[in-house]
Amino acid sequence: MGTIRMDRRLFLKSAGATAGAVAATQVGCLRYFKKGRSSAAETKEIPTTCELCPNKCSAIAVVEGGFVKKLNPNPENPKSRDMLCARGNAAIKQVYDPDRIKQPMIRVGARGEGKWKPVSWDEAFDFAAKKLSEVKDKYGPQGTLWSSTEGFQEVFFKNLGLAFGSPNIVRHPTLCLASVNLAYSATFGTVPSFDLLNSKFVIMSGANRFESIITPDTMDLIGGVMERKAKLVYLDPRFTVTAAKADEWYPIKPGSDLAFILAMIHVIIKEGRHSKDFVATYTTGFDQLAEHVKQYTPEWAEKETEIPAADIVRIAREFADAGARALYYAGRRSSWYQNDFQMRRAQAILNAIVGNWDQMGGMVPNAKLPKGEFLFMPWDEPKAARVDEIETAFPLAAKGDGVYLKLRENVLSGKPYPVKGWMVYKQDPMNSLPDQAKTMKMIEQMDFIGVIDLQMSDMAWYADVVFPESAYLERTDPVEVMPGIWPAVVYRQQVVKPIHDTKPNLEIVQGLAKRLGLSDYFDYTIDQWVEAEFKDLPIPMAAEHMKKHGVWAASGQPSYGKTLNPEHRFVTKSGKIELFSERLQEAGHDPLPVYTAQPQPRNDQFRLILGRVGYFTHANQSNNVWLHEFMKENDLWINPKPAERLGIKDGSYITVTSSVGSVKLKARVTEEIRPDCVFMLHGFGKKSKMQSLVYNVGASDAVILETAWDKVSGNAAFHETFVKVANA
Amino acid sequence: MRNTLKLLAVLAALTVPLAAQGGSDTKGKFFFKKTCKSCHTPGSAAKEITPLSKTQAQWKAYFAAGKHKKGAEKIDSVVKPEQVKDIQTFLVNHASDSPQPETCGG
Repeated sequence: MGTIRMDRRLFLKSAGATAGAVAATQVGCLRYFKKGRSSAAETKEIPTTCELCPNKCSAIAVVEGGFVKKLNPNPENPKSRDMLCARGNAAIKQVYDPDRIKQPMIRVGARGEGKWKPVSWDEAFDFAAKKLSEVKDKYGPQGTLWSSTEGFQEVFFKNLGLAFGSPNIVRHPTLCLASVNLAYSATFGTVPSFDLLNSKFVIMSGANRFESIITPDTMDLIGGVMERKAKLVYLDPRFTVTAAKADEWYPIKPGSDLAFILAMIHVIIKEGRHSKDFVATYTTGFDQLAEHVKQYTPEWAEKETEIPAADIVRIAREFADAGARALYYAGRRSSWYQNDFQMRRAQAILNAIVGNWDQMGGMVPNAKLPKGEFLFMPWDEPKAARVDEIETAFPLAAKGDGVYLKLRENVLSGKPYPVKGWMVYKQDPMNSLPDQAKTMKMIEQMDFIGVIDLQMSDMAWYADVVFPESAYLERTDPVEVMPGIWPAVVYRQQVVKPIHDTKPNLEIVQGLAKRLGLSDYFDYTIDQWVEAEFKDLPIPMAAEHMKKHGVWAASGQPSYGKTLNPEHRFVTKSGKIELFSERLQEAGHDPLPVYTAQPQPRNDQFRLILGRVGYFTHANQSNNVWLHEFMKENDLWINPKPAERLGIKDGSYITVTSSVGSVKLKARVTEEIRPDCVFMLHGFGKKSKMQSLVYNVGASDAVILETAWDKVSGNAAFHETFVKVANA
Repeated sequence: MRNTLKLLAVLAALTVPLAAQGGSDTKGKFFFKKTCKSCHTPGSAAKEITPLSKTQAQWKAYFAAGKHKKGAEKIDSVVKPEQVKDIQTFLVNHASDSPQPETCGG
């Protein structure tokens, strides 16, 4: 029996849906700049949800005379802890940014030349639909690629690609934390939260939580460390703000974190310090683990990590003694090495054997809150297999996300089939993928590129047509459940009318769908979608509550121990926490984490390492005028010893060269990094002249990063690049 | 011969793996939520059911038996016969022992 063909008639019969008219909001272009604000106007406070990073903190917009005057934190959201960071405040300047894309535009010069023709929405939709149809006619729907990053309206873009018939939806996780997600899913069947507010002993490997903000983790860690409730041990080749605040900082040899963790497990098991009852009741594979880690002694680990064996033993004992309130923190960052999955899984196993699962101060499975769902008309499944061959190359990876770098390799090779059309939503592959020259080649071989974005990113700069999306303060989005120890439901509602000729992503998708003959799949309004989601919130007058408060957080109190029942079934193959994984073994991977020493740079080379700061989100906000004040140009951190050897002075211009590219930027000579590493910040050296503050200022790390990925998850491995540094 | 092998390889690559089960995950989710969840929700007369209620083997066995309401009626008397395979595909793909790693957003 095959699947049934869904048509509009059947859908309406099944769903009881009614067609809704799309009400596109059009307002006069540049009204803000022409008229300015009226000080005598009425002031309103409208709750909404921030979009300047993925944390989704609750905010209250102060609106005066139709313009956003200020953004305040919303104390009702336990996740954001009554905080709105610098980025959140700078969302005002995202709306009133003179560099914004102000109307649809079609390229008239060569790609990247920067010659654009402003067009009407109809012209832009007609143009893109014609080009997409031409690719479809020639190469099939699988000849199109749909790439996006996370956001409340991403679902509409993804669904358009699928309804079009393309299996090639590629999302951000394999440029983000796919290895963490897969490692914890493979061990616990889920990715838990870390109760930093109540933990007593925390170890972080390169998770620079004081600068790379995650809510509520950053605030909870500050509370924990400042009040001395928690001890923080931090491993990082770089002396970050988190290193400065930690009780102990170890500038670990890059690539050896797995050795440190395995040696900790060795000590804990050898000395019988693991939680025996918990291991016996909830886990499987302990005996195999115990045998496996016998080889990983602290003395062996000292040679790999450059952390003294005595310290490893002491830290292991302190960690085990803290037991349920000890945490090896997973963090949220991209992969470093090709064995990243196994390093993350070793962390998960270490957490498991001290019994911190579902305990106050430990790892807590995420609580969720109910909400309704808008049932849209489903389409036929795409007929082709994915171009990244995820099913065979990464059988355990999340199929709906794709594997970005393998996908790029296959698209460049034209195998297993050609891909010639590329639609992009709110993503900048020119800066988020390593080896920019390869991304440029991929761009060159496309017959068509369309980009939906607020700003003229480097990717948009090379597009054939750009569709300007309304800023989050100018639109209403789907309702989102934020699972966690303190779960909340958040609502992003329109605060002001769009100031330019922009549209919310849903309306852009609908405009394309109409011309591609796919309207039936998108036959609803955002209001209908949101109303359906409000419907199942278990609170009286849910719609009114969410519009008034912007957030609902149930009791606001954490609930520990719900899964601490011997009958509880974890979402794993065995139903237990899997220390030894049969599923990994069946897929051809190590069922227990095996350490392999990483290659190290030669004397004339450095390892390029990456990291983040609190005022930019990836490559995204360096052009925001308020945030730009914090940092106007990136530089390269280099230790004084090699700097002296190379004759490099602080503040002088240098060239940094890898096997795939070379960049020029200023040197920062500092003791705050190991002599064998260099560091540079993401988000500078833009090619788009409509990123005027950072166009050709500093350098883009994407130019020199080499292509490598984690073997199990396919996650991009960003610390595998060796560079040479010389005076410019 | 070499070209034929190449063609066969391309055709194999173009075959969607889910087709092995013959159903559509997307449509299965829709029919499950529209039909099954109209009764099997918290607080309803019928017991709450989610894909996590059974393992993959249990869901396959359930649909092989083809019975509903503890065997009192055939499953295709409550779900349209042409929808059963889609619902089975959705439930098996997301069962309590299914290899579905969590992801971010989306």
